[in-house]
Amino acid sequence: MNNVIRFQFTKGEEVRYLSHLDLLRTMERAGRRAGLPIAFSQGFTARPLMSFSFPLPVGVLSEAEYADFTFAAELGPEEFVQRYNEHLPPGLQIVYAARLPEKTESLQSWINAASWRISLPGTSPEQVEERWRQLQAVDSFVVNRETKKGSREVDIRPFVYDIFQVESYQGGTVFSCRCGLGTESNLRMEELGELLGFSHLEATVTRTGQFKKVGNSYFPPLGNRG
Amino acid sequence: MDKRLLPLLPLVAKPARYTNQEVNAQHKNWAEIDVKIALAFPDIYDVGMAHLGYKILYAVINGRKDALAERVYAPWTDMQALMEEQEIPLTALESGQELTSFDLVGFTLQHELSYTNILKMLDLARIPRRSRERSGMQPLIMAGGPSAFNVEPLADFLDFVVLGEGEEIIHEIIDLVKQGKAEGASRDDLLEQLAQVEGIYVPKFYKPVYDQDGRFLSLEPLRPDIPREITKRVIRDFNSLPYPEEFVVPYVEVVHDRVMAEIMRGCTRGCRFCQAGIIYRPVREREPEVLKEQIARLVESTGYEVISLSSLSSGDYGRIGPLVRELIEQYQPCGISVSLPSLRLDSFGVELAQDIQKARKTGLTFAPEAGTQRLRDVINKNVSDQDLMDAVQGAFSAGWSRIKLYFMIGLPTETEEDLQGIVDLAHKVLAWGREFRTSHRRPEVSISVASFVPKPHTPFQWMAQDTMETLRAKQNYLKERLRHPGIHFSYPRVEESFLEAVFARGDRRLAPVIERAADLGCQFDSWTDRFRFDLWMEAFSDLGIDPKFYANRERDLFEPLPWSHLSPGIDADFLRREWELAQEGTTTPDCRWDVCSRCGVCPGLRTANSLVRGERSE
Repeated sequence: MNNVIRFQFTKGEEVRYLSHLDLLRTMERAGRRAGLPIAFSQGFTARPLMSFSFPLPVGVLSEAEYADFTFAAELGPEEFVQRYNEHLPPGLQIVYAARLPEKTESLQSWINAASWRISLPGTSPEQVEERWRQLQAVDSFVVNRETKKGSREVDIRPFVYDIFQVESYQGGTVFSCRCGLGTESNLRMEELGELLGFSHLEATVTRTGQFKKVGNSYFPPLGNRG
Repeated sequence: MDKRLLPLLPLVAKPARYTNQEVNAQHKNWAEIDVKIALAFPDIYDVGMAHLGYKILYAVINGRKDALAERVYAPWTDMQALMEEQEIPLTALESGQELTSFDLVGFTLQHELSYTNILKMLDLARIPRRSRERSGMQPLIMAGGPSAFNVEPLADFLDFVVLGEGEEIIHEIIDLVKQGKAEGASRDDLLEQLAQVEGIYVPKFYKPVYDQDGRFLSLEPLRPDIPREITKRVIRDFNSLPYPEEFVVPYVEVVHDRVMAEIMRGCTRGCRFCQAGIIYRPVREREPEVLKEQIARLVESTGYEVISLSSLSSGDYGRIGPLVRELIEQYQPCGISVSLPSLRLDSFGVELAQDIQKARKTGLTFAPEAGTQRLRDVINKNVSDQDLMDAVQGAFSAGWSRIKLYFMIGLPTETEEDLQGIVDLAHKVLAWGREFRTSHRRPEVSISVASFVPKPHTPFQWMAQDTMETLRAKQNYLKERLRHPGIHFSYPRVEESFLEAVFARGDRRLAPVIERAADLGCQFDSWTDRFRFDLWMEAFSDLGIDPKFYANRERDLFEPLPWSHLSPGIDADFLRREWELAQEGTTTPDCRWDVCSRCGVCPGLRTANSLVRGERSE
């Protein structure tokens, strides 16, 4: 019997500024408060078997974070959601959970795309649409990416797939977009800002989905239930 | 939190320091509370969240229906700059209320290098710095903690100061403030009533007198009904004392982020350099059953992965062995580890460390404090060469590969031989490592050498601190001789120790210096990269005050001392006796296992050591 539960959770306003490591600690401690029978790795430094999808940038909200927890004892998805939600801090909430079939690919090797909702103050929908039209006409947009090994040029144009639902909102604009995520086609928030002409510090960004993109189809990790 | 900070959060480092909403944070209905207290910590969140005293007070105060406690920390410099630019005053974490809306703002005085942070926080809160500049509805500024036992350099900034343990006296303070508010009592009336409470010192009701040479003569009460001497508060029944059932669980990584069980209070080892060993007397151990219950509740409410058994010398706790083993047996299967803050320097300490650290034996830390048996006898650090050898050899054979040793330089009667003793010990430890190691790693030894700061209310309170030049020369002596593969030598800067010594034994004339330094931009002085000794020296020279008068001057054994009215219950004759014994190199045994050393605390404070039934005797 496979004892892994995959679940989708939100990261709300209250916990918006947690780093990925802060989030891991917080989720682990909430699990212990809830008395979840999370299994531990073998070896000298036993770690709880919790694996997460790709880190969310600090300051970004999410409706669709994912994690897989392995349990040392039998625990049903419904009971898991109920007990965990009682002990998670405000802003973190499990939306849906399901038992994972044997030999499922890990979240980080499976996911390769994300959708985002971006709210920009002081920008009109026309400006956003105009910018997107201009970008669609070019097939490359090269930025310098600083890494530990130094700086290198990366073409990020292929990593933005589409933009949709561009609407005016509270004197600004809100729009959605789908972009690459993960090791192959990752796009940083500041790069997306550079590409679309906004400051990521002023925008309110929400991750609304994570997917495996195959051709033009997007599959969420928990099926269409997620 | 204060909503005005929201737009600033993306612009600062670690914004979650400022956002509150942590698990177990207390949010009370502001309008329904009679007495509102801000517990202000004069450093950033990451440091202040570790403070056990505030966790206890937070629980005690919020346990009352008529009072609330909220947390306040110093914003880091990036946030400060933005707050000043946007004219946003300092606010409390939970409610986001400005500090000026509280009835009481408390500061904990953990060390001397935090003083400028207090002024900075008052400035940010728009509260006048000096007690006499505050009036009417301004909150009362109170302080407590170890440095309260010589609070004189800060006296002008504080409305009242609490000496000793806070769990009981805080209720008396709340009751008086509540009653005072209901009756519309004036600020001074309220302070006058507070001054009658045992353990409370109201600095403005006293005036210092100095002689022509600038020596302190006396502190004169300005009102007839004000006590000449203030004696600390002490908890007599430690086992029935309430302990927090919840700790606020921070999101960002902070120091000592774990379940802390206070297994005992006080230490009677009698190390003559140690102020904590004096001011927290007597020793009171908590019953293991009480502790296990407190730990279980905290584990459940926090979800922490580490349990720390806190006290000044946890290895001395009477049932430490069984307690550690039982906790490991109970919690290890759930992935929760047990830790001890300090290790006894003997084979018993190493056995205990072995129980705790079954895996990953990297480093083990001991504090011999001095390099020779003679000097250890002078400071009454009752550790023998044999203990040291047993502990270090035991550690290497048990699988540890790195030993860290703490020492001090500038101790009384120190000679070159004692410095050479540190060098010899470092090489000896390395040799023992080669002989006894069972780990595949190369043995390493780290030597950390602090400059001694004489502290008030200790047997060394009269001595001159070594000059900075002397301390530097001693550091260089060690540095030259500890250059060796496998030996790492580190030492804090002498300038920091010098300033600590100035303020530790300072008087009220230093208040303007602190103020001047803060104006020049000094803050976060305990952060090595923020410490601006040049600005401090500028402040002293601007005010015509010689800091060496405070740090490097030997006091006469019967000279009046600016802190003698702030009593931890210690007999001055005991301190003088201990000073004489130190000169002879005669040790004084620990009264918990041996005869009473007649320090005066038990009869004076009507208290006594209270020990759990031990598994062993010393």
